[in-house]
Amino acid sequence: MLSFLSPLFLAGAAAAAVPIVLHLLKREPEARMKWAAVRLLKRAPVEHTARRHLRELILLALRVAAFVLLALAFARPFFATGAAVASSSVTIVALDTSYSLSAPGRFERARQLAKDAIARAPAGDLVGVVSFADEAEILAKPGADRVLAAAAIDEAAPGFGATRYRAALSAASQNLDGRRGTIVVVTDLQENGWDAGDHASVPAGTTIQLADVGALPPNLAVTAVRTLADRVVATIHNGGARPRDARVHLTIDGRPAGDAIVSLGPNQSADATFAGAPRGSSAAVAVDDPGGIQADNVRYAVLGGTSRPTVLVVTGSGDLGREAFYVQHALAAGTAANAAFQVASVGGAPLAAWTDDRLAAHAAVLLLSTRGLERRGRELLASYAQNGGGIFIAAGPDVDGDVVGDVLGAGSTLRMVTVNGTRPAPRALAPGDVRHPVFQAFAGSSATFGLVTFQNAARIGGSACQTLARFTTGDTALIECPAGEGRALVLASDLDNRWSDFPLHATFVPFLHEVVRYLASARAHASDYVIADVPPGVKRVPGVVTVTGAGRAGTGPRPIAVNVDPRETDPARMSVDDFQSAVTRLKDAGASRRIASISGSTRWR
Amino acid sequence: MPRPARDRPFLDPTVVARLGTLELKARTIVEGFLSGLHRSPFKGFSVEFAEYRQYIPGDALSTIDWKVYARSDRYYVKKFEEETNLDCHLLLDVSGSMAYGSHHALSKFEYGGCLAAALGYLMNRQRDAVGLTAFDENIVTMLPVSSRPGHLLALLVTLDRLQCGRKTNVAKPLNLLADTLTKRGIVVLISDLLDNPDEIIRGLKHFQFRGIDVIVFHVLDHDEIEFPFDRATRFEDLETSEEIMAVPGAVRGHYLREIGALIERYRRELGASGIDYQLLDTNRPLELALLSYLSTRSRAL
Repeated sequence: MLSFLSPLFLAGAAAAAVPIVLHLLKREPEARMKWAAVRLLKRAPVEHTARRHLRELILLALRVAAFVLLALAFARPFFATGAAVASSSVTIVALDTSYSLSAPGRFERARQLAKDAIARAPAGDLVGVVSFADEAEILAKPGADRVLAAAAIDEAAPGFGATRYRAALSAASQNLDGRRGTIVVVTDLQENGWDAGDHASVPAGTTIQLADVGALPPNLAVTAVRTLADRVVATIHNGGARPRDARVHLTIDGRPAGDAIVSLGPNQSADATFAGAPRGSSAAVAVDDPGGIQADNVRYAVLGGTSRPTVLVVTGSGDLGREAFYVQHALAAGTAANAAFQVASVGGAPLAAWTDDRLAAHAAVLLLSTRGLERRGRELLASYAQNGGGIFIAAGPDVDGDVVGDVLGAGSTLRMVTVNGTRPAPRALAPGDVRHPVFQAFAGSSATFGLVTFQNAARIGGSACQTLARFTTGDTALIECPAGEGRALVLASDLDNRWSDFPLHATFVPFLHEVVRYLASARAHASDYVIADVPPGVKRVPGVVTVTGAGRAGTGPRPIAVNVDPRETDPARMSVDDFQSAVTRLKDAGASRRIASISGSTRWR
Repeated sequence: MPRPARDRPFLDPTVVARLGTLELKARTIVEGFLSGLHRSPFKGFSVEFAEYRQYIPGDALSTIDWKVYARSDRYYVKKFEEETNLDCHLLLDVSGSMAYGSHHALSKFEYGGCLAAALGYLMNRQRDAVGLTAFDENIVTMLPVSSRPGHLLALLVTLDRLQCGRKTNVAKPLNLLADTLTKRGIVVLISDLLDNPDEIIRGLKHFQFRGIDVIVFHVLDHDEIEFPFDRATRFEDLETSEEIMAVPGAVRGHYLREIGALIERYRRELGASGIDYQLLDTNRPLELALLSYLSTRSRAL
């Protein structure tokens, strides 16, 4: 397809009207002359009028064409694709545009590395450009015009997304379109660019080269903002190797509401507390850090009741004090004023009388028992999950495996077998990947899960489910299953100190909080989003915006806070070899694309 | 040696064109021309009695008429006048094609008329007998040769009354005239010669066969020599009214080759036959024509 680098110059083609106008205006009447030597002219190759008119028209066409071609030349036309170049080798430059490159001077270096990669591409290679962060975008399709590729790089700018190498390699592989080629990844090699269990596949014969932009500069970041009843707490992280004092500013509804200074050790986080009940609709906490990453210097939060989501606990009778004592107190941990969650309960039988809207008002559902849970109740839970709700299932002795299969909807592959009467076998839990949001808080102390003893456990699994943790026996301990637009976590044991002593350990409360936060983040009425997960139609820019429920029951217009993904501020880097080892080369390019697609669909948000 | 034409503006055709009568034009041309010559090219080649004059000391004694002295006892010197034995026929083409003239110069007809008048004036001054024949496809006017002093006026009046006529047929009047001439002399043809060159050359050779010298003045307008046009033009023939549409840029090369070949043919074939040929550009002075005539005349005598 013919395209233009500078299409504005096409307006110059209007100058083609000049010879046409002159042709029409300058038409002179035919001259007549009495002449003596006509006999000498008669033998000449006299030009007939028709031929002369034809010649004039051709001359006019040539003049018009000259102007048009001049305009076309200035517009710099090119063919984006062509059959003649279909068999050429391809060099795809994947340029990292995550916000970790927004520190002063870093993206300029990335641009230069990308241009160098284009310049080094073998003569005759097609060159394409892909930018990537949370998602990849094709800036220039593979073509012979390297100026176009360089221009595309010039137009690129760092955004607010986080690094995701899988997206970059997937897009680059698709642009190779079955041809041999090289993928040059221009990035700062952040370790977080690979999600837990993530992998990428490229066609066999594809060479992957890495252009390292360099380590993150010393950086201060606001990684979290919590709004409590009587104060606002912001977590500030110092990503540098030297201690620093951070000046932190609180703004509520655009008005300054307080300043604080926080002393931070190397690679440490600390809270900046702004006392006083926040009154307003939104808060923003900013830290002064002109030399570091700019996009993480401010973080937004929505003030109001939505910051305390309600968690519904489903038990046999709805009596939390008797059937979910530990869960109730774990969720309500803290003072009465600043408890993380509001806890509600319902029995399995009464749930059948609920409506969708009533159930949808809850941020997450903990299913601890299926007793009394009739068909209507199961359908309600299935509808809740399909519409984006998060359900946690503790597969304890009160949970029937046959009933659980219906709770996640007809398409669920979850299978659970409760083994009753067997001899207890002590076992411990080991997280499969501490980078999963549920275990991320335990990244430095995940071994504490080993202190928990699980005497009994159900057998859980599912073809579409992903294993997050296993028991030391090798059995699956915690899985995540997709459920429509929602998600479900299934623990192969209970939470009530019957099959395990989990509630008696220190990890129980934070584990339960992280589970609820993770499940609640999938709900449309969550108030805090990272860039990669913003609802459709919301601009991927940090800030507080108002969204509608898109017709979904129980979700009217509401403010949400959109923030950058704090994981991107992690300065941990990987080596080139580590990067290469995460990439699989497949002989079948089609399989590569299919795997990339499947991988993309299961990417954690 | 003649002075350059720029020193004698009276010979410039544009100056001549502004003069009043044809007689004045002829006199201006001839006197201007002669004043530029260091010596007269015509000195006595035959004499006849003109008058008697009283002897003045210093006169040659051989010129005294002794018979008169015997009768009157006075010395008288016998004066002789130059006497021509040459008949000069001016043939002027007055066909339609001679009417062409670019706006900045005389038309070929006017230029030819001036030339004929100047030659007639010069011949009459030399006592040569001069006659005029004007023709197109036929003989339009014919003035017999004469050397009488009043004949010049008749010639100039005849020239002044001429108008451009119709089609050209140069050969026909040439042959008619050649048959009627019995005495040796000079025939001066003034024409643009835009006719069949074979017949024209054959007609001119007809004179040569009869022992008559011929001078051909090929009068062409500057435009006809250079063809300086650039706009597409519909050319209408002055004689036949035939029209032809041409783009000068496209036909110029061919035209110039054609007119060049025509001129070259006349120059070559007429020269080979001993006929003087002189191409005259109506933009150029008439002295070339006069010099050519005098040269031929001296050779004829």
